[in-house]
Amino acid sequence: MPKRLALLLSLALLVVTPVAAQQAPIKIGAILPLTGSGASYGVWMKGGTEMAAEEINAAGGIGGHKLEVIYEDHAADASKAVNAMRRLVEVEKIPFTLTSYSAPTLAIQPIGAQSRVVMMNGGGQSDNLANKDYLYNNIPVVSNEVGVLCDWLTKEKKFKAAVMIVANDEAGRNSAKSFRERFGAGGGKVLAEEQIALDGNDFRAQLAKLKAQGGDLLFISSYGRNVAIVADQARELGITIPMAATSWVQIPEVLKSKGAQGMLTTRLPFNPDSPFARKFKERYKTDAGFFAVQYYSGTRIFAAAAETAMKKAGGKLDGEGVKNAIESMKAFDTISGKLVFQPNHAAVMDIEVGVLKDGKVEVEKIIKAAQ
Amino acid sequence: MDLALQLLATGLVVGSLYALCAIGWGLIYGTTLHFHVAHGAVFALAAYYAYVAQTWLRLPLAVAVLVAIVASAVSGLLIDLLLYQQLERRGAFRTSIFIASLGLLILLENVLAIVFTPDPMRMDIGALNTAVIIGPVFLTYLHILTVALALVGYGALMLFLKRSRWGQAIRAVSSAPEMARTVGIDLRRVHLLTYAVGSALAAPAGILVAMDVGAEPFRGTRFVLLASVGVIMGGIGSIPGAMLGGLFLGLLENLGIWKLPSEWQSAISFGVFLVFIVLRPRGFFGRTIHSAEI
Amino acid sequence: MLAYIAHYLVMVGIYTILATSLNLLVGYSGIFSLAHAAIYGIGAYASALAALQLGLGFWGGLLVAAVVGALAAALVAIPSLRVAGDYYIVASFGLQVVILTVFINWTSLTNGHAGLPGIPRPRVFGLVVDDPFKYVVLSLALAALTYLICRRLTASAFGRALRAVREDEIAAAATGKNVVAVKITITTISSALGALAGSLYAHYITYINPTSFSLDESIFITSLVILGGTERLAGPLVGSLILLAVPEALKFLAIPDTVAAPMRQILYGALLIVFMFVRPEGILGRARPRRAA
Repeated sequence: MPKRLALLLSLALLVVTPVAAQQAPIKIGAILPLTGSGASYGVWMKGGTEMAAEEINAAGGIGGHKLEVIYEDHAADASKAVNAMRRLVEVEKIPFTLTSYSAPTLAIQPIGAQSRVVMMNGGGQSDNLANKDYLYNNIPVVSNEVGVLCDWLTKEKKFKAAVMIVANDEAGRNSAKSFRERFGAGGGKVLAEEQIALDGNDFRAQLAKLKAQGGDLLFISSYGRNVAIVADQARELGITIPMAATSWVQIPEVLKSKGAQGMLTTRLPFNPDSPFARKFKERYKTDAGFFAVQYYSGTRIFAAAAETAMKKAGGKLDGEGVKNAIESMKAFDTISGKLVFQPNHAAVMDIEVGVLKDGKVEVEKIIKAAQ
Repeated sequence: MDLALQLLATGLVVGSLYALCAIGWGLIYGTTLHFHVAHGAVFALAAYYAYVAQTWLRLPLAVAVLVAIVASAVSGLLIDLLLYQQLERRGAFRTSIFIASLGLLILLENVLAIVFTPDPMRMDIGALNTAVIIGPVFLTYLHILTVALALVGYGALMLFLKRSRWGQAIRAVSSAPEMARTVGIDLRRVHLLTYAVGSALAAPAGILVAMDVGAEPFRGTRFVLLASVGVIMGGIGSIPGAMLGGLFLGLLENLGIWKLPSEWQSAISFGVFLVFIVLRPRGFFGRTIHSAEI
Repeated sequence: MLAYIAHYLVMVGIYTILATSLNLLVGYSGIFSLAHAAIYGIGAYASALAALQLGLGFWGGLLVAAVVGALAAALVAIPSLRVAGDYYIVASFGLQVVILTVFINWTSLTNGHAGLPGIPRPRVFGLVVDDPFKYVVLSLALAALTYLICRRLTASAFGRALRAVREDEIAAAATGKNVVAVKITITTISSALGALAGSLYAHYITYINPTSFSLDESIFITSLVILGGTERLAGPLVGSLILLAVPEALKFLAIPDTVAAPMRQILYGALLIVFMFVRPEGILGRARPRRAA
């Protein structure tokens, strides 16, 4: 019995000692829509993160430590995001996580704030994501885009009466609220609104009801695969009025869909010919998109903030240190230019407006970011 | 008014799908008294059989559909043969059969999810996608085919039950199993046939939905639930009742949202059902139930 | 690792309360309800809203949950007064769907799919229960309380009346038992306890949304009862210990969650089937005499 005990103890020491002696990797989380109606976003988000992590590690890591990303799938379900966040915070003890989508991010934010873990959102756009403790958004909130879109639709395209189809979640409802305000401010009227589920695939009932209302524009306040289905089924039901949406709908399924061609939309800056985009395409065999750059940038922003934090704290790294670093640095160099976090913890970017034609957005105007 | 007509049309299409599921499920339940929730798995399997037949085996659409219907009939038969009859041989209670059926439904749906992923698998339906405009109503050929198939399926079933020897055997077992046994009818064989026929009726429903919006692993649960609601509303033991029950549910779901907000669609059918079951448990055409044993 | 075990035990406590309260209906009364997840959800929302909107503490939330749950019991009870067996199963399916739709669509109250984040952790005797280890104590204590309540109930004269109603309602009525009162009482107690579990859950995860209270969840709770053994109060505990360990054990294998989640379900479905062949009365159940084939 004592012999076995000694063996166990020495084995234990054997495991513990090298771990203590080696540089422990820096672990961060990435809570993404890897499956479900938003899987296309997930491909971009995960790819961008992976590429950034690899580049960082190839250049020596962060302060000599390797960066390790733990990927979790929320599949658009905020409960899953919460469970993932709990695991990451309580078991993996991360200082930082990437996050995505509005409702899941809002759901995990109180946990991050309480446990002092920084959350970086590169995809969700609900206005409610601003001004939250420990949460930073390197993407503008949706009201920025909706504002630009409505200005263009009312003043230049002269639309007066819109009907809306709205995803029944935080992001969809928030964007719809914004549209009502801004379209109204431009002299237009919203005649009716119908709600849909993100993972639904038959929207004919709602579309039929909207069709009966008339109007000259259909605003799609939804994102993910269902947008392609909405566009196709709308045309199938004989709805001929133009459709409009913000940039988050531009995923492959929608770009390719017949019904969506001619859609009036906003676009956030993305260069499909950049070295990053070409590397992405080569590696993942699919076109890169705006969100790939977002999560690449988000990871690099963490690396920069973490280095600063570790220098200040003599090699130690925790969430509070990362947060203080972000607050003091404010501006970060990214491959799409300089990104500045506003006092409300969100970013501002140039916004383009244009028409979806042949699977691409033909840009008509660029509205510079209000600084 | 245009809207009401459009919703009526959609309601008839959806109702036809529910009706096909209901008459198949009702036939099985009325004859075997098994609460066969795995009927939902057969519904889902049918869609994938058709998808595989068209996309992997490259069969023409009509052939793929036929192959899928036959495969579904066989699947349903095997479920009875290998699961329910084996349990009954061991003296299982009806609750146990229900639980086993539930387990099988969960198992099969998730196997499909692993093999095909949970994303919808679209099929190529060519000309069936063409729009058909009848007055203010917009439909596709697929939708019209759906209603037609439901009527054909119902007619065929009624004919089979009334005219053929096997159909009469099913009716005998359905109304008086002990009597049927004494006159020499092999109950096990009749059960197998019932499952084959019932599953063959669910198959077109699953396939038609797949042709419209793609095959999905988890859709069957909702359909078998609604089928059972349709059967109860129509009255257990009545095939015409099940047909009407299914159609009624489809119409209710769609016309219900004419004036009510559309997000309450699923609550409408079940809400009405709950009120109905409290007021008239035996349904439109059902025989009066004494205590339904479980 | 320890944090995992603590989490597992907290969930065992919550599910034991759920399964025990459902067992009162399924095992003891013959009321096969598939709407228990809806009741669970009602308790969770009631408690969460009490905390977020009214500022009530954990105990206040528990009370609110229990009361609201008891009132909601009427929804479960009324159909049981008119139909039984398979009819009741379908009716309870329907009830589950309707209540879930309300959770999703009554957005001004429940915030719909976005859910309610930031639910405060409980304060017990001045101490904030803010880590899984402390929560284990709370969870298991409430589970033990539930067990004791149900034990008193089923061992009493009321318990006998329950079983009489389950075996043969008509005979029970003939011997003077007030069948309506019995059913209403038992559904009220069952729902109040189920709602209690919802409160415990809400304050533990600190976030709730409709997906946690779906039909799948109802089916899961039912299996805990069936597999553990109906009609045995410890059955639900055993069922919870085993069925919750399965997904947790699978988490240690490095399978991507997209495959792991359906795999858990396949295992779980297979378990149900195997049990019906090998031990339909459940692990702790009393073997009932088999029917003549």
